[in-house]
Amino acid sequence: MNVPLRDVLVLSVALFSLGLCGALLRRNAITIFLSIELMLNAANLAIVGFASRVGGYSGQIVVFFAIVVAAAEAAVGLAIFVAVFRHHETIDVNKTNLLKW
Amino acid sequence: MTAIDWVIVVLRPLVPVVGALLLVPMLTWAERRGAGLMQDRPGPNRVGFFGWSAFGLGQALADALKFFFKEDITPDNADAFLYTLAPWIVMFSALVGFSVIPYGSTLPIAGRSIPLIGADIPIGALFIFAMAGLSVYGIVLAGWSSNNKYSLMGGFRSAAQVISYELAMTTAGAGVFLSAGSLRLTEVVASQEASILRWNAFPQFFGFLVFTISAFAETNRVPFDLAEADAELVGGYHTEYSAFKFGAFFMAEYVAMTVASGFIVTMYFGGWSLPFFHPQGLLGGLVSMAVFAAKTGFFLLTFIWVRWTLPRFRYDQLMRLGWKVLLPLAFANLLWTAILVRTGIL
Amino acid sequence: MSGARLVFDLAGAVAIVFAGIMVVHRNPIKSLLAVVVSFFAIAVGFVMLSAPFLGAIQVIVYAGAILVLFLFVTMLLNLDTESASSDRRPFQRGLALLGIVVFAAILLSAVRRSGSIVGPSGEPPATGEIEPLARALFSQAALPFEAVSILLLASLTGAYLLMRREPPAKTGSAENRP
Repeated sequence: MNVPLRDVLVLSVALFSLGLCGALLRRNAITIFLSIELMLNAANLAIVGFASRVGGYSGQIVVFFAIVVAAAEAAVGLAIFVAVFRHHETIDVNKTNLLKW
Repeated sequence: MTAIDWVIVVLRPLVPVVGALLLVPMLTWAERRGAGLMQDRPGPNRVGFFGWSAFGLGQALADALKFFFKEDITPDNADAFLYTLAPWIVMFSALVGFSVIPYGSTLPIAGRSIPLIGADIPIGALFIFAMAGLSVYGIVLAGWSSNNKYSLMGGFRSAAQVISYELAMTTAGAGVFLSAGSLRLTEVVASQEASILRWNAFPQFFGFLVFTISAFAETNRVPFDLAEADAELVGGYHTEYSAFKFGAFFMAEYVAMTVASGFIVTMYFGGWSLPFFHPQGLLGGLVSMAVFAAKTGFFLLTFIWVRWTLPRFRYDQLMRLGWKVLLPLAFANLLWTAILVRTGIL
Repeated sequence: MSGARLVFDLAGAVAIVFAGIMVVHRNPIKSLLAVVVSFFAIAVGFVMLSAPFLGAIQVIVYAGAILVLFLFVTMLLNLDTESASSDRRPFQRGLALLGIVVFAAILLSAVRRSGSIVGPSGEPPATGEIEPLARALFSQAALPFEAVSILLLASLTGAYLLMRREPPAKTGSAENRP
């Protein structure tokens, strides 16, 4: 299995940039969260790419834990969104500037 | 890689896939005749071929043709793209599970020894679990895109059911992987080859029970068919589907049943192996395929048998069973298996 | 071009295309489905990089559980397609886009010479086998493993508490309510 590292990193950069676009330019909170998950995945891909070059299994273990932590974060984040939605009837981030007075 | 090698690589996963697809009409026939048998009535026995009522086998063909020729309706406000896509997601996730199940030992053909498995990947069993998880999308999208409250309810219920029982299933499976020492399904089969007592169903009996019950739930078969609930929710997530798309759901259910049966046989009943049978040569390979087919057929009949015997679970009973009974039992089984392996018994 | 590289590049192209669809599409459900396909393609990428276990975990956990959770919440909230007209700030958005393009350009130029960034360390390369990964996971990473399980328990409890509706008032005070 020989995938050159450059291919992996280019893909990772492209996905990260797309995720960043989504996170900065969208207004729907769930889409923003999805873009953040995409950025996480891009980082995971880069780590696995480096791990395949460097050898050993440490990289794969790091990505394993990253996926698990992302799962925990997604659960709590979505619970927060639902709670916010129940209060405000909207999930548009431009309208839920709650801490503003 | 010569041309023959490419042909073999393509054919290896296709054999069980095509076999399963051809088996679907037979399964519908068996289902209806089996239902009749258990309800003390004949079942379809008139539709035949060329004047001979071939035990009602023509009924299966007639049903299949019906699906082709019925009018294909898409509801008014339904999301057409998702509505059309959903049955194929379910069908895909069911069919692709066949590519890692070992359906025989090896066939020596054209100077090569062909392993009778689509792809012997190191994560074999995890692959099947992954693909089964994808079927959730088909179900939820079918319910959502039908633009029908009852379909949506059915879709959500079914998705929650699949996710819950996935947990119990993989934890029960973990016991098997522990005793086999690998996730590769060929090694799981190899670890059970020695004797009939090594078939994982016996030392890990409760794991086997949990796994089989969860397989019923994963494939949405009675007693866990609340999503379809033929007499209650009309059709659950596939209420609004007709003709060929419904046919796809229908077929996908039977294909999933076949994959589940094959998977149970591989994990708990020694796959294609029999205790004192060491397959050699072409004949041995073919006999091992027949053994696998027979065992899978037995479990398919069990699926049908249970369907017409047990009443349906209510939704809260179903969830309670999955989380509070099966999951702890699966963990207990894992502990028990760990003890067996550590003390060298397994 | 070796077969593994070809498959990886194809999967990468699919991942990028569907990620793009996710960023652009107005309907939250369609964009979520695009992300599912994209993550699936990333899982294929993991397999090509000799990490089949991670590929399976990606499909089971990420695409098969986390995104299903997203799907449920999106359907629960019954979100409409994002209205394109309200509250537009073209200058800010243009600036953000420019910033991202510059960022991507900088990273891509850094990546161009990645052949010499890292070299193999002493450890043997990862094969596709599960056993060495499992050994490493349960020996070197045993403490993070346990810690992460407690993290999951905490997040499970937190999510439940955040989501539950107010518990019904006790019967004593119910009589006082008008």
